[in-house]
Amino acid sequence: MTTSPLLDATGVAKRYGAVAALKNASLSLLPGEVHALMGANGAGKSTLVKILTGAISANVGRILVRGQERDIRSPAKARKAGLVPVYQEPSLIPDLDVLSNLRLTNTPVEPFRNWVRELGVPDLDLRELARDVPLAIQRVLDLARALAVEPDVLLLDEMTAALPANLAERVLEVVKGQSRTGRSVIFISHRFVEIAALCDRATVLRDGETVGVVDIVPGVEERIVELMLGAKVEKRRVTQQRAEDAASPAGGSTRIAVRNLSVGTKLQDVSFDLKDGEVAGVVALEGQGQDELFAALAGSIRPAGGTIEVDGRQVRFSHPADAVQAGIAYVPGDRTEALAMQQSVRENIALPFSAAFRNWGPIRMGKEGATVQGAIERLQIDTRAQREVQRLSGGNQQKVTIARWIAADARTLLCFDPTRGIDVGTKQEIYKLLRQLAAQGKSVLFYTSELEEVQLVCDRAIVIFGGRVVDILPVEIADEAALTRAAYGLPRDAKADVGILADVHSDPVTRP
Amino acid sequence: MKHHFRRQGWVAGLFALLVALFILTKFIQPNYGAGDLGSLVRAVLPYAFAVAAQTVVVIAGGIDLSVAAMMALTSVTAASMMAGASEEYALLVVPFVLAMGFALGAVNGILIVVSRVPDIVVTLATLFMLQGAALLVLGAPGGGAAEWLKSLVVGTIPLPGLPDSVTAWIPKSLVLLVVLLCIVWIPLNRSKLGLSIYAIGSSELAAFRSGVPVARTKILAYAFAGLFAAMGGLSLTMSTGIGAPIPGPYLLASVAAVVLGGVALGGGKGSLLGPIIAVFVLRLVRTDLTLLAIDPNVTAIVEGSIMVAVVMFGAFITMRSRSS
Amino acid sequence: MLKKKLVGALLASAALAASLGAASAEAPYTIGVSNTVQGNGWREEMICAIKAQALASGKVDKLNIAHRNTDAAGQAEDIRNLISAKVDAIVVNPADPAGIKDALAEATKAGIVVVAVDQAVTEPSAYIISNNQEQYAYLGAKWLFEQMGGKGNVVYMRGAAGASADSDRDRGFKKALAEFPDVKVAQETFTGWQQDQGKQQILDYIATGVPFDGIWTSGIDNVIVDALVESQATLVPVVGADNAGFVGQLQSVEGLKGAAVTNPGSIGGAGVTLALQILEGQKPAEQTVLVEPELWENATDAGKEKLKTAADSSLSPEWPVSISIPNWTTYSKEQIVACKGPGE
Repeated sequence: MTTSPLLDATGVAKRYGAVAALKNASLSLLPGEVHALMGANGAGKSTLVKILTGAISANVGRILVRGQERDIRSPAKARKAGLVPVYQEPSLIPDLDVLSNLRLTNTPVEPFRNWVRELGVPDLDLRELARDVPLAIQRVLDLARALAVEPDVLLLDEMTAALPANLAERVLEVVKGQSRTGRSVIFISHRFVEIAALCDRATVLRDGETVGVVDIVPGVEERIVELMLGAKVEKRRVTQQRAEDAASPAGGSTRIAVRNLSVGTKLQDVSFDLKDGEVAGVVALEGQGQDELFAALAGSIRPAGGTIEVDGRQVRFSHPADAVQAGIAYVPGDRTEALAMQQSVRENIALPFSAAFRNWGPIRMGKEGATVQGAIERLQIDTRAQREVQRLSGGNQQKVTIARWIAADARTLLCFDPTRGIDVGTKQEIYKLLRQLAAQGKSVLFYTSELEEVQLVCDRAIVIFGGRVVDILPVEIADEAALTRAAYGLPRDAKADVGILADVHSDPVTRP
Repeated sequence: MKHHFRRQGWVAGLFALLVALFILTKFIQPNYGAGDLGSLVRAVLPYAFAVAAQTVVVIAGGIDLSVAAMMALTSVTAASMMAGASEEYALLVVPFVLAMGFALGAVNGILIVVSRVPDIVVTLATLFMLQGAALLVLGAPGGGAAEWLKSLVVGTIPLPGLPDSVTAWIPKSLVLLVVLLCIVWIPLNRSKLGLSIYAIGSSELAAFRSGVPVARTKILAYAFAGLFAAMGGLSLTMSTGIGAPIPGPYLLASVAAVVLGGVALGGGKGSLLGPIIAVFVLRLVRTDLTLLAIDPNVTAIVEGSIMVAVVMFGAFITMRSRSS
Repeated sequence: MLKKKLVGALLASAALAASLGAASAEAPYTIGVSNTVQGNGWREEMICAIKAQALASGKVDKLNIAHRNTDAAGQAEDIRNLISAKVDAIVVNPADPAGIKDALAEATKAGIVVVAVDQAVTEPSAYIISNNQEQYAYLGAKWLFEQMGGKGNVVYMRGAAGASADSDRDRGFKKALAEFPDVKVAQETFTGWQQDQGKQQILDYIATGVPFDGIWTSGIDNVIVDALVESQATLVPVVGADNAGFVGQLQSVEGLKGAAVTNPGSIGGAGVTLALQILEGQKPAEQTVLVEPELWENATDAGKEKLKTAADSSLSPEWPVSISIPNWTTYSKEQIVACKGPGE
């Protein structure tokens, strides 16, 4: 067995203007190895994958394939160099049939057919439009298409995420089989179970840098979590002490009761309560179903199953207006989704309550003015540039989106990552505001991608993984390390002494 | 087989509509015959090429507003070059003008790819530039055309072994149209380039990831549109014997026929056959309106209404078949 | 004996009819019309005159009108559709004299009488009845240059590039220009016979500040006077056509000197009359019949009197006031204003 690496990337960096998406990443892949690439959200995983597959090109860095420098500055060239990806989203051309998709990428048909059969899809019509193939099967076809060209390095990005259990199992088997033929696989997954079952080693990224390469052995997940979080782990343990003195959980009446809610394939069987006077945090890795959860509660998509009760009465939202009617307001993370950017602060704040259908007709300017002014003062919105919302800072824009619902007197706020991309000072104000609202008896469901916010704002943390609630942590123990472990589907009490293979709680393979 | 039928269903429906219109025409004007069919095809020619140009670009996910102006420029170029020149000289003019169309189309594509300005803006700008260039070539309608070129669209083709009563129904212009479209379209459609054109129109990101050279494909799509537009310009010169620098009503007609022909304006879907049949439908509707002596101020409304009705009916049928 | 004569006469008339290529044609007739400019006052009057004359003649039972904005290829399509419709005669205002040659030849071959109105066509088998466009331009330009004192700058606002009426008028204009060597053309534009374009062009020119001493327009006239008045430019002499609006302005606008040259849109009606005459066997001596223009000016009392009798404020300002042509049209004013053809 040779020890010279099949793929060797060192010192890879990528900047977008002033932002460094990748600072100093390296990845070394041995022949016949299944190698996990890990890192928290924003650590640079997807940037590195895009560079390795030619979707973008690096500013600096050296990438050797079989010891030789290769030009991989376009997907076609990367493919030629033997690096073939399977992305998270299906990459078949929707309006071409499967056969044409194969011709487009010069994929041999017979090996493709064999792989498709191998992967557990016996009856595939090659004349079918890709658009008409179910999403899960499309992922399988993507994989089969990649396998058919016999690539040196296969990059799998969250391959099993959208697959039903039986297909996921076959996929994992096939991936394992790859390594036996001397080919290598880069495997990106949020599921420790799969990583433990498949991978030989893992490279961990943090803040755009490679911080460690570890062998996968039982118990290594703690080490990986530590690497992903870095020094933060120690720091958080300290703040945890402080959090214990924080306000005790609210004892209000149940405002919203979610029971066995499922939405599409992304969210399954989710149940929890939201009480008056409470800020409940929602924590999840990207794409675990949190978007669907918030959309269902905000009335913009209809759930496939389960019930939502508001104040003890079952509701069925068919339009966001129904949710607003029930006093539930949605504050999106992307402010451009919520605001009319060219309108004034006043108009934006007044929009929800003035635009209600029953209010059509002359707007009562006096009353409107007073309500709006009240909301502006309360939020300390800097109104020097109030004629056009787009000229406000991001933080002030976010305050406007919250202010409008205070003006509209909403009883429940669904805040989806409201502090994304705003300055620290304004973040503090928003935390304070949310606590104040809770103190007045309002309820807030608060999804955040910044885990440290949980202990600053929330009373509890609801952790979602793979479309299910895997844990509900009281704020006292919801530090970053605990949340990260939970978000990766590791059980709360599983410290270093318990191997991950013992974890059946979130095992996707044995999932019904 | 089921998928095949669903994809061809629109075209089949359109063809049925065309046949129904022919029957209606025969009913309105019992003497409608072979000669009239020849007239129809000659009227269809410039529209058909404009539509072919637009179809290629729309399938690639773009739109080309400069089609009619490109036809005007190529038409006046051909007409002014052939004016007073020998019959043989026209043999050089035709390939020159076709190459010019291809090159101008490629310029459209390059501008879109390089400047990253939306196609609708770029081709609007080239519309004005090409229109101005056409006026520079010929300030007023004029020029000439070689006789052999003009005769290409007149009369019928005597086929050995077929009686005159049959060949009378095969006008030369129809043969010319079919041959030219097939010469370009079939190899294009069978090649990897054709596949790539559908791919970038369907999903540019997925195409990029599949290793399709997106920029090059887009430029070539516009270049082929330019080639078809040049054919349209030549067909104008052939049928009128002159070149006119002011673009005719071919831009909006081309978009209308593309939509009616079942090509998704979003790109990636459809074929050339549908839009070409749609052109015949639209021209035949005009013939019928003239035969019926409908108030001329009403005809435009009738044409528009028919189009909306057909497209809505098609969408309705598609929706029904999806949900069932 | 009598019987023999009768048979002979019948044979003769049959032979005559056959030689005209319209053996099957007998009154009442179907007449096809092809026009390629829509929404222009002059052309609308032409269409209405065609309808009114068809009705007034009593010999037409159906009009088949193809009337839209299109180019020569589109007009050829319309003409071929009219051939398919088996009309007895086609009255056509050509988009381009040469561009529809083949289509017109096909029409005559199919035994259809083709009459081009307003402008000439190159197809020799077609009849032409037209206003004398060369004379039209010559009359007006000559009067204008005399008003300018035989010197100075003239703004020359033409019609649509390439239209034969425009090139004929250009010849007449140049003829007058040659007689006045001290008159210079300051600006030459093509209005395309569109009101809005003409107005924009003169406004653009006024904005340049370059002085001018007279304006000759190819019939886009009332908006030019409007532009002069609105921008408070010097009211230079203006020559236009006999459009109702302009004729009114010549009498009402203080300090405006100008002349209207008749260019009756009712030529369409004359076209119908000519077509009917040919269908009934009375061929004209020449293929081309010209209607001579008149000039009405407001510089002399005699001219003012003519303008006063001609003026008709009840007409749309873009319509020519000469709504009939003696000897050629027989409809009443009510009939042309109603704009109804047979069967409407």
